Amino acid sequence: MRAVTHDERAAAGLLAGLVAVLMAVTAFPILYSLWISLFAVNLRRPNRMPFVGLDNYIAVLSSPAFWGSVGRTALFSALAVAAILVIATLVALLLDQEFPGRRILSACLLIPWAIPSVVNGLMWKWIYDSNYGALNGLLLQLGFIGSATIWLGDSNRTLPLIANAFIWKEVPLAAILLLVTLKSIPADLYGAAAVDGAPAWRRFFAITLPALRPGFLLVTLYEAMMAVRHFDLFFLLTEGGPGGASDVVAWRIYVETFRNLSFGTGAAMSYILAIATLLMSYALIRGMARTL
Amino acid sequence: MARIRFQSVTKRYANGATAVAGLDLDIADQEFLVLLGPSGCGKSTTLNMIAGLEEISEGALLFDDRTMNNVPAHRRDVAMVFQSYALYPHKSVFENIAFGLRMRRVPEPELRRRVMDAAAKLEIAHLLERRPSQLSGGQRQRVALGRAMVREPSVFLMDEPLSNLDASLRISMRAQIRHLHAQMHSTFVYVTHDQAEALTLADRIVVMRDGTIQQIGSPDDIYERPANLFVASFLGSPAINLLEGALETIGGTLCFRRGALTVPLPACFRGDAREVVLGLRPEDVGPATSEAAQIHGVVDTAMPAGSDQFLGVAVEGAMLFLRVPKDVRVREGEPIGFGLTESRLHLFDRTTGRSLRRAA
Amino acid sequence: MIVPRPIAPRMLRLAALGLASLLLLAYVLGPVMWLLSSSLQTEREIVSIPPHWIPESPTLANFKAIFATGLGLARPSPAGTDPSSGGFIPSVAANLLPAMANSFIVAVTVTILNLLIGVPAAYAIGKIRFRGRGLTLYAILATRVIPDIALVVPLFLVVRKLGMLDSLASLIIAYLAITVPFSVFVLASFFEQMPDDLDRAARVDGCSRLRVLTHVYLPLARPALVAVGLFAFLASWNEFLLALMFTQTAASQTLPIVVAGITSDFTVSFSFLNAAGVLAVVPPVLLAVIFERYIVSGLTAGAVKG
Ligand SMILES: Nc1ncnc2c1ncn2[C@@H]1O[C@H](COP(=O)(O)OP(=O)(O)O)[C@@H](O)[C@H]1O
Ligand SMILES: [Mg+2]
Repeated sequence: MRAVTHDERAAAGLLAGLVAVLMAVTAFPILYSLWISLFAVNLRRPNRMPFVGLDNYIAVLSSPAFWGSVGRTALFSALAVAAILVIATLVALLLDQEFPGRRILSACLLIPWAIPSVVNGLMWKWIYDSNYGALNGLLLQLGFIGSATIWLGDSNRTLPLIANAFIWKEVPLAAILLLVTLKSIPADLYGAAAVDGAPAWRRFFAITLPALRPGFLLVTLYEAMMAVRHFDLFFLLTEGGPGGASDVVAWRIYVETFRNLSFGTGAAMSYILAIATLLMSYALIRGMARTL
Repeated sequence: MARIRFQSVTKRYANGATAVAGLDLDIADQEFLVLLGPSGCGKSTTLNMIAGLEEISEGALLFDDRTMNNVPAHRRDVAMVFQSYALYPHKSVFENIAFGLRMRRVPEPELRRRVMDAAAKLEIAHLLERRPSQLSGGQRQRVALGRAMVREPSVFLMDEPLSNLDASLRISMRAQIRHLHAQMHSTFVYVTHDQAEALTLADRIVVMRDGTIQQIGSPDDIYERPANLFVASFLGSPAINLLEGALETIGGTLCFRRGALTVPLPACFRGDAREVVLGLRPEDVGPATSEAAQIHGVVDTAMPAGSDQFLGVAVEGAMLFLRVPKDVRVREGEPIGFGLTESRLHLFDRTTGRSLRRAA
Repeated sequence: MIVPRPIAPRMLRLAALGLASLLLLAYVLGPVMWLLSSSLQTEREIVSIPPHWIPESPTLANFKAIFATGLGLARPSPAGTDPSSGGFIPSVAANLLPAMANSFIVAVTVTILNLLIGVPAAYAIGKIRFRGRGLTLYAILATRVIPDIALVVPLFLVVRKLGMLDSLASLIIAYLAITVPFSVFVLASFFEQMPDDLDRAARVDGCSRLRVLTHVYLPLARPALVAVGLFAFLASWNEFLLALMFTQTAASQTLPIVVAGITSDFTVSFSFLNAAGVLAVVPPVLLAVIFERYIVSGLTAGAVKG
């Protein structure tokens, strides 16, 4: 073992704050929650806290309701990520062009990103309102529907509509990330293809799309992580309803923990979600890296 | 005032690479020492250890009699000029030069005086208000020199300070650096891979390769009496000619033999029969006279080069590259003979690469 | 008729780009404009069918009510008053300004502490080779993969045990956990890009590590610092989940919590609700639009490496 060098002492001092924060507010809670997940903790019975081993995990994993919420989470995430990829690609392609007003446009693009998710939720709740909402108003005025329609209250429409609100807020970041990737495509790649007489659409499929792959990987990874854990819109728009139609994993954790006050199962579910997220990111990186 | 001593110093980087191995070096106070060697041989690492920018893995580094291993860079009385200049982009030229003095709490009037003084010497006084980005390469280089100069350090380190300048500027800056050394009472350690720079600047040169010292000596020692094949071939441009052959004693005289070629060797070489390499610098040939040892071959190519001409001469299946005056008339394909100056021959053991010259 | 050939395709291209820009603008701004328009309508106008896209008689009544009750200049309408009559002020109106103040205190404190903790750490990671550097980087990456909802349960229990529920301090600490790793990440990659020789030159010039940071890197890192500070501010201003768990009374509730409370209150008109929303939106949106350039470069620096 080497002696501690001067540099290492300096580094230790500079890192002290970060280490304290990581330990106190990340590492410790993670371990603590592992501990909790092994007990039957219920705040309704604060003095009894029997050790139950993996029972919480078994209970969660053998509950059909949990698997139902996993399915809804997967559906919501798949919808959201797919739509984000498509829309963000179009936006990035547009912003990659030079034209008057481009800068103003890209500044406006940041607005959805900056809006608090609570306001995003209330805004869409109001738009989707079945009596006076803008969606009904617009569709009626344009003659697409004959009478006011129920939106969020229709269990077939709930998930896609919540996804839409999520997508609206997430597209800007995804577009910025893809735009950076686009800008990093060497110009001579296009030059060579243009000389070969390839038409624009051929250039797009032969050069632009393949070159965007690292950006797609990044966006898929990040947005999938965000979608799987998303809570705010479910709380604000539907509270898991109607009839469980938007009961996703994040919502279940909240209900289990803070409404049923069953912290043990809540912690177990959180753990399962965290591990699933880790595995998902790993699989995504491996899978997409292979196709690159 | 600083004498710098390395005692069996080894530097291993975190990735396990050994950049310097068992370095022993004694640098005299106020000496101008040049570390010379190919890229990656450990010159910068050695310099950075003096500066305190790299930890020493093993051994000891002493300034005078004080062990410096654990003294951090900012507490050493050392100034350094970097190849990239490393000027502070957000500070004016004045503040760049003054920064080291400010960090050492030099009082304002003295600080001003010293900065102005250095700027005047380096002829950059009119640039003091500019930012580094508004300067030419040569001007930046002067600012970097000025920044080290004002500190009046006991150790002055330079890591390839001229490598980013164009050729003509490089030569005039060499003179300026020599001048600087004469004026200051500092120990200079200068890193370069450019042999011409080393030969013009140094009191002593340390030739390095793969983290070890190959030879330490004055520029003359290094050039005229290279200790091994590596040093011989690293110095000189164009490079020294190396002829493989055998060492034999013929009629009591030590001779170099290659096929029909026999070169009698002067008494400064010693050794018994073995495989050797004869070294001959391109400029060390003269007209063939009866007294001198001779070498004969066929002119393969002739290329004029200003005042001289370069000849490619085929000798016993090898090609020698020689430099002769322009007035020597040659024709490609014709035989030619040269006289050799005994004292300028070099002889090395082919297996060890070591010079066979007797210790002086 | 002679038309110079290149002009037609160029006009066509511009027209297509213009159309696409308008579509994008409508998509991005449409919902926000509707939020704004609704907030300027009276309780009566907001329930028109079809909706009035542009208010017929725009009114600042909602905002006046928020500021007047928040500053104690007016009282909320008593219970039992008919909400649909004009001039009804819901009782939650009084909570909005204090909540905004709470949000502001939390966000500013988090931003400052975030930089105080994050900048030195980022410098160490970006410029010093030390044992455990790789481990530190992995730990930082890991925090970005772990869902915040997984931290909620244990954090809640700890905060409760420490008796810190319903305090701004608990929020500040939790938000540091969310924002510091990201800041360190962005800043470390920024410091790493700076030439090593600058660091070396400064140390030879007499700077300790800390002084290199304060005298050389901080002045150079100003754009990155602005970006990172903005992220910390916006993240704290916008955060909902943890605030929902940790806060209980108006003493510590932040703006998103109060706004969410209004959202689920059926007695409050949509026009008032939208006004509360606008209030929460203005600060972050202004910051984002003003500092767009910094934010974009910071986002990409943080994401590309993460
Ligand atoms: N920070 C480092 N980490 C690992 N290896 C290094 C580092 N710096 C230099 N080296 C290695 O050490 C050897 C010597 O490097 P250096 O002292 O920079 O050589 P020179 O200055 O003579 O070109 C090289 O092989 C180089 O690759
Ligand atoms: Mg070097």
